Amino acid sequence: MTTRPAEAARFTSDQPSRWRVLSWQILGLILILGVWWLVTDVLKLYPAYVFPSPSAVWKEIEYGLWGSGPQDGKLLSAVGGSLRRVLTGYAIAVLLGGLVGLLMGAWLPLRTTLGAYLTGVQSVPSIAFVPFAILFLGLNERAVLFVVILEGFIPVALAVSGALLNVPPALRVAGRTLGARGLGLTLRVLLPASLPNILTGLRTAWSFAWRALVGGELLIAGVASLGEQLEVGRNTANVGLVLGTIIIIGIIGGLFDTVLRAIESRVRRDYGLEVQS
Amino acid sequence: MINPNPKLSKRSFLTLAAPMLLTVALSPDAHAQAATTVRLGFFPNLTHAPALVGLERGTFQKAFGAVKLDPKEFVSGTTLTEAFAAGQIDIAYVGPGPAINAAGRGMPVQFIAGASEAGAVLVARKDSAIKSYKDLSGKNVAVPSLGNTQDISLRHILNENALKSKTDGGTVTITPIAPADVLAAFAAKRVDATLVPEPWGAVLEAQGHRIIGNEKTVWREGKYPTTIVIVNTKFAQANPQLVAAFLKAHTDAVAFLNKSPAAAQAAVNAQLFKLTGAKIDPRVMQRAFARTRFTTALDLEALKDYSALNVEAGYARTAPDLSQFLKK
Repeated sequence: MTTRPAEAARFTSDQPSRWRVLSWQILGLILILGVWWLVTDVLKLYPAYVFPSPSAVWKEIEYGLWGSGPQDGKLLSAVGGSLRRVLTGYAIAVLLGGLVGLLMGAWLPLRTTLGAYLTGVQSVPSIAFVPFAILFLGLNERAVLFVVILEGFIPVALAVSGALLNVPPALRVAGRTLGARGLGLTLRVLLPASLPNILTGLRTAWSFAWRALVGGELLIAGVASLGEQLEVGRNTANVGLVLGTIIIIGIIGGLFDTVLRAIESRVRRDYGLEVQS
Repeated sequence: MINPNPKLSKRSFLTLAAPMLLTVALSPDAHAQAATTVRLGFFPNLTHAPALVGLERGTFQKAFGAVKLDPKEFVSGTTLTEAFAAGQIDIAYVGPGPAINAAGRGMPVQFIAGASEAGAVLVARKDSAIKSYKDLSGKNVAVPSLGNTQDISLRHILNENALKSKTDGGTVTITPIAPADVLAAFAAKRVDATLVPEPWGAVLEAQGHRIIGNEKTVWREGKYPTTIVIVNTKFAQANPQLVAAFLKAHTDAVAFLNKSPAAAQAAVNAQLFKLTGAKIDPRVMQRAFARTRFTTALDLEALKDYSALNVEAGYARTAPDLSQFLKK
């Protein structure tokens, strides 16, 4: 990008630099930790069995990472188990959702029926499907996978079909003029043109899938998972473990979201949909 | 990667303000003055028979006089402990596992009496191949909830038979299921065995399922507390006369259970029907009664052993000094 110096200066004054934003974020984190420490360790507003201090939570995470007790040292395998489950479910959801979305985008009757129903199903909280899934698939990780796929699939399908319909008519006409027809038009013109919107759908699908996963894992047993860590913490009155697990769930969810967001904004920039870098 | 949002500072301010507001809103409410309601926690199991009898015969309400009794039923000790930590329960019938956990975490808890001993059995589904503890390998075993008294017992049984739970790298799946729901889980073949408190063991046995560990072989020749009575220390300090009245009513209920078992069984059955909708055959109830002992005594040694099992299961890292939690 070539901009004149004056213009560049104005540009940066509106848009804080990367480092500045990062320093704000770190400062915010320190402040949150500070308030947490103040409320728990200094003011002792709550008993430790209700709201543990940051150090108590860190201790639980430490035990989870390299403790040697019977219930310790399970954090990494729990994270691994949960990630494997969510990534499997997410991959299937994206494939399935993409396919159904394509069909819905191409065929009006399907769009007006299935599309409308899926919007309705999406409004049902994922946890509501778990008892039903357990009846069909048993008290095991397949029930969780089912819910993850369901939750991830819907936003992808809706995003793909919506994005296909939102392709500027000019591109469609241009494609036709240049000889693209039917499937070729969809795959080589419409799909690439709708990529930015599809990516937004993929990001939504990720956060839906991640939430559905943890909810489902709370209800099943016998597999190493973050949900199980939460349940063990809850059942043994170990609030430190509960809070630590919540934080880890948040960090993982946030990290993946950041990666997907980076890809998305990169694509949006390449498509000329965003001005700044 | 970085969100270039100019509103960010405002947002992070909100993020900071939220916990502070929450702090104000959730300030714990201590039992400052004499209580007008006594919140009593218990489970709909035979091992909590003193609670069931006391409720059915109105013994507790009579003892409290004008103070209202608010009975709250729970599925297992772990959910009860949660309510206890939140200050929602004043007096509770609970298993030693969760009670010891609560004590170890520094909750204001005092152990004031025993309620029942033994009364938990290990039942295998009739069409499963499980004949002994060793056969549990590769099977799915239900307990009322992870970390509760039966779960701790089960983990000890597994340990003694060189087995491990799946989440600990072993072969046995341990599934938390509410005792009253185990009947349905057996029928649907969702689990292969269960360590349950009575009367559910006897009910399963009456349906043809096999008892592979009775109340005696489960642990310590049957000399282990299954239910004890705990009280919130703050509540006890503010309402000593209510606690004393409750203890008397509890002692009466236990005496009634031991003196007139037939009438007591009818009372327990009536209360269980109200709570769970399950009508239990009197003969089944009788069998369940025979496997449970009711006592107000607290066996400190057995509690200490339980505490050690809790550590063995990994639910606590150290055993708390229990004598300081016993009623002085």
